[in-house]
Amino acid sequence: MSEKVTESTSEKVLEKYPRHYQKVLKGNYAASEGAALCHATVIPAYPITPQTSIIEELSARVAANKLDATFINMDSEHSVFAAAMGAALTGERVFTATSGQGLFYAHELLHAIAHFRLPIVICNVGRPSIPWNIWSDQSDSISQRDTGWIQLYGESSQEVLDGIIQSYKISEELNLPVMMVLDAFYQSHTSENIWVPDADLVDEYLLPKKLNGSEIDVKNPKSFGGLVSPDNYGNFNHGYWKDVIKVEDLTNKIGEEFKEHFGRDYGAIEAVNINKGTKQILVTLSTITTTARGVIKSHPEVGLLKIRLFKPFPRKSIVELFSKVKVNKDKCKIITIDRNFLGDSEGALMQEMKRALYGERYKLQGIYAGLGGRDVPPTTIENIIETCKTNNDEIIWIDS
Amino acid sequence: MIEIRGHARGGQGMVTAFEILAKIFSKIGDFQVQSFPAFGVERTGAPIQAFLRVSKCPILNRSNIYNPHLVVVFDETLIEQVPVLNGLKKDGAILLNTNSKIENFKIDTNNAYTVPATKISLEKGLGTKALPIVNAAMIGAIIKILKVDIDIATQIISENVPSKPKQNAESAKIAAEKIKRSPKNTDNLIQFLDSDEVIEEEILEVENEKEQLPIMDFPSWNNPMSINKTGNWRVLTPKYEERPAPCTTNCPAGTDVRLFVKQTSEGNFYEAFDTIYKFNPFASTCGRVCPHFCQQNCNRIELDSGLNIGAIERFLGDQGIVRKFYAEPIKYTKNIAVIGAGPAGLTAALRLRQRGYEVTVFEALPYAGGMMRTGIPEFRLPQEILDKEIQAIEQQGVIIKLNSKVTVNDLEKDYDIIISAVGSHKSSKMKIPGEELSTDGIKFLREFKLETNNYSVVEGDEVAIIGGGNTAIDVARTTLRLGAKPTIYYRRSKNEMPAIPHEVEEAIDEGVQIKFLTTPVSYNKNGNGKIDITFIDMKLGEPDESGRKRPVKIEGSEKVMSVDKVFSAIGQSFDEYVFSGNNIAPKQGRIEFNSDKPVFCCGDMAWGGTVTEAIGSGNHVADEVYSYLRNIEYQEEQNPTNVVLPDDINYNYYLPTPRHDNPVVELKSFTGNFDEVVKGLTKEEVIEESQRCLHCGDCYSCGNCYNYCPDAAVHIDEQNRLRIDYDYCKGCGICFNECPCSAISLKMDEVENE
Repeated sequence: MSEKVTESTSEKVLEKYPRHYQKVLKGNYAASEGAALCHATVIPAYPITPQTSIIEELSARVAANKLDATFINMDSEHSVFAAAMGAALTGERVFTATSGQGLFYAHELLHAIAHFRLPIVICNVGRPSIPWNIWSDQSDSISQRDTGWIQLYGESSQEVLDGIIQSYKISEELNLPVMMVLDAFYQSHTSENIWVPDADLVDEYLLPKKLNGSEIDVKNPKSFGGLVSPDNYGNFNHGYWKDVIKVEDLTNKIGEEFKEHFGRDYGAIEAVNINKGTKQILVTLSTITTTARGVIKSHPEVGLLKIRLFKPFPRKSIVELFSKVKVNKDKCKIITIDRNFLGDSEGALMQEMKRALYGERYKLQGIYAGLGGRDVPPTTIENIIETCKTNNDEIIWIDS
Repeated sequence: MIEIRGHARGGQGMVTAFEILAKIFSKIGDFQVQSFPAFGVERTGAPIQAFLRVSKCPILNRSNIYNPHLVVVFDETLIEQVPVLNGLKKDGAILLNTNSKIENFKIDTNNAYTVPATKISLEKGLGTKALPIVNAAMIGAIIKILKVDIDIATQIISENVPSKPKQNAESAKIAAEKIKRSPKNTDNLIQFLDSDEVIEEEILEVENEKEQLPIMDFPSWNNPMSINKTGNWRVLTPKYEERPAPCTTNCPAGTDVRLFVKQTSEGNFYEAFDTIYKFNPFASTCGRVCPHFCQQNCNRIELDSGLNIGAIERFLGDQGIVRKFYAEPIKYTKNIAVIGAGPAGLTAALRLRQRGYEVTVFEALPYAGGMMRTGIPEFRLPQEILDKEIQAIEQQGVIIKLNSKVTVNDLEKDYDIIISAVGSHKSSKMKIPGEELSTDGIKFLREFKLETNNYSVVEGDEVAIIGGGNTAIDVARTTLRLGAKPTIYYRRSKNEMPAIPHEVEEAIDEGVQIKFLTTPVSYNKNGNGKIDITFIDMKLGEPDESGRKRPVKIEGSEKVMSVDKVFSAIGQSFDEYVFSGNNIAPKQGRIEFNSDKPVFCCGDMAWGGTVTEAIGSGNHVADEVYSYLRNIEYQEEQNPTNVVLPDDINYNYYLPTPRHDNPVVELKSFTGNFDEVVKGLTKEEVIEESQRCLHCGDCYSCGNCYNYCPDAAVHIDEQNRLRIDYDYCKGCGICFNECPCSAISLKMDEVENE
């Protein structure tokens, strides 16, 4: 990484990342920028807060002939995902975005896209279900975790843009769809510094989509989506399983390749300040991670585990990390912070961590925080750290 | 790191301002920036917040700002509504957009700045008075406090605003000059910007009863919605406001058509009759013979077919005219003479008599009614209908002197005011060779109806009628009933015919022939007692001063036709006898005439040509005479603006419903039959027809506004009217959009609850 500051006549040019330019972008525009840099060719869309500005920006670019894509205004999210499916079946590189109720409405199609093995990338800007609310929450995407989609959660505008580029790599290599998830408002509507790679830098990394021969071809008719007999049904799922278990390693591998090419480091997880003396490990998704990073600076005994790949859950990376740094099973508490509620005693992070660490005797404690967009300021993180020092309840509702 | 919190109303551009500030700081130095809004599900006008963090090191906090160094208030009225100073750092400051002095606000810190951003923005044409877009000016003020180079800032502003880059940049520059630092201000905010570390600091103690209020307020599920007074978000205000309907504005008599149709639909026939009678004493007649100007622009035409208002008027007229009328007492000593007992003269006479003047009408003929009596045949307007309407006028005290052919000069010594309403009973001449062989059409109708002469039209006669107006049609239909074979010759095409279209259609249905684009050039007697007419074909050229296409002769296309009789009906003018043969150009209202007494003019001799226009003319002249006598300045009525047009109607809320047409009598032979041809509707049909009214511009309590209002701000008041509660109306405009008939306006004006 070369870090160079040059003074031109009136403005400073920063060259932290060569072949990049620095901008101030909202998370949603970073998503649009990512989709444009990846040359998405078909964008079916339907607006819903808080994702609307993603598709708005893309439609403006298509209208201004700055993006060579077919933009289709659909009548609902169900239709959006149906159109996405159809376009992907013909071999197009498809992008769209949705939120909350829109994602719920598309549920049926989400299964179909995953099991048709269609490499589609979407952004979901998270919001909860009912009671009605438009603010930040991950209940929508997490409730779709069993549809067969890969899910990545971004912490910053930069991670959204970079994540979309990596998502197309992962998606097209395994023929699986990827959902890039953003937090509403704290990320989607937050303007911040971002490095945008030059278009040719992305083009060198992400080649045009290769056809794999399974696309719709009028000269070679095949049937798609027909009835599958009980004898064959399991074979389809087994085939799917063989690929989905590769996702974690592939995410780490592609993250390394991405670092070589663009200079920024990504993996399925990120560990901060986790070692054998760590007393608490906060497990987080998305923007809460940033605030936790700030708070743990003054808590040397508290570590942070950021989950970037949520589905499939990166249990191998976690188990390896914990055993490598010798996390003390008796003295260290693993505290999951869930900004989702799915009608179960534990939030999704707690459930997944339990599965990941099955049989390992780690102490786990689950926190519900920030639901429905409730702010999670540094004081709340401090409160979690303090509360968990003495309170041993398995599940704690902070602020409620 | 410096943390800035902004308070504004949705629509003022604060979110954009904070985003632009982030871009400015990212540009001027190696700053990390973070800006984001916090808002509810609100829209324009609702209180919102925005946050900005600027730091030399990575910003490890993605939460709202609770302890800002600088609070920026975009709208001074928010000070009363929102606890803006909550959590402000002790060394922090507030920047307030106001035109007044900081001393006028009760705030708990000395560290204050003011900037007249609204004034600056309005002067630069940014936004509107109700919703000024003050963001660029506020950026100018903020960067001045933080000592940022204004030129870099204005460049970034002009690159990032959605419109008017120059004006926005200028307003920022002006704000940077006009920002005022309060004298006791001791802040040094720039130290936070330059510091790498987050400095822990004391928080200002705010003595404010609003301190406990949340900055963002959401009504929760177990509180009534009424706690959320969304009225203070309003920028645009809906209001129930009547707009003129095309039927009413089109009526030359001035009748409130929409009102009498509504009254009819409610079964209130006598109220409806009174509504008409206020403007028109000849409802029965007009219901039959008026071209129904009111129907011509009926907005229902766009849906299925226009309302049959004529049939409603006819029904109401026939019902209402049989009641007893009473004369008002005479209140004034001045007396008024009207010459001519036609619709204009009688209307003017009635109006002035109703106001308490003695009025005498002089009529040359032995019958009152003017053209209604002499020009309109029995089969269109039965005599007894007209008789009743004239009797009603007499019952109200108007004196009619028949067989009194008088001049203005005859009357000037006995009367204080003379109104001439003699109509147009004199036929125009064609000035072609042999014209003496033709019969005067209007004279024929008059004399035929008054039974002074039957003009010896006999069965089987070939009859030619020259002209295209109502007189031509009436002559043709009359001769048809005498057994003749009438043909109308008109020099232009059907589109240009001045006759009432449905009368033309009825004439054609009855068997009248019409030949277009031809005109006679001479009449000659031929040997066997017939008349040879030489016709020449015409074509249409450029439009003339009347807007109709000018007929042009096609040379060499002459042909000869033999007929038994030829009637001329090419136009009429007034009889100069009334002015003792003086050459006077009549016009509506007071005219210049060499007389001791003021002379006024109205009716066909002034303008118009239909009964209803004559009635309107009579109403106007009565108003003018009254103003003259009472010494009030007479104001001519202005053309109404804001008439409801088809684009203003929400047709989705109306069901197509068939129109009730008047039944037309179908006869095998019309010979000798002068019975009324067009019949009226039944009571039930009239009610159904009136219920087809769209109520253009007039609330009919359909309740759409009530049903659609998302804030339940529409209610029904004690008078059973739909009304808006402006404490809750946030000005979303849904009621305005969903109103079927444009009875709700949406404007920038502020209104108060009634």
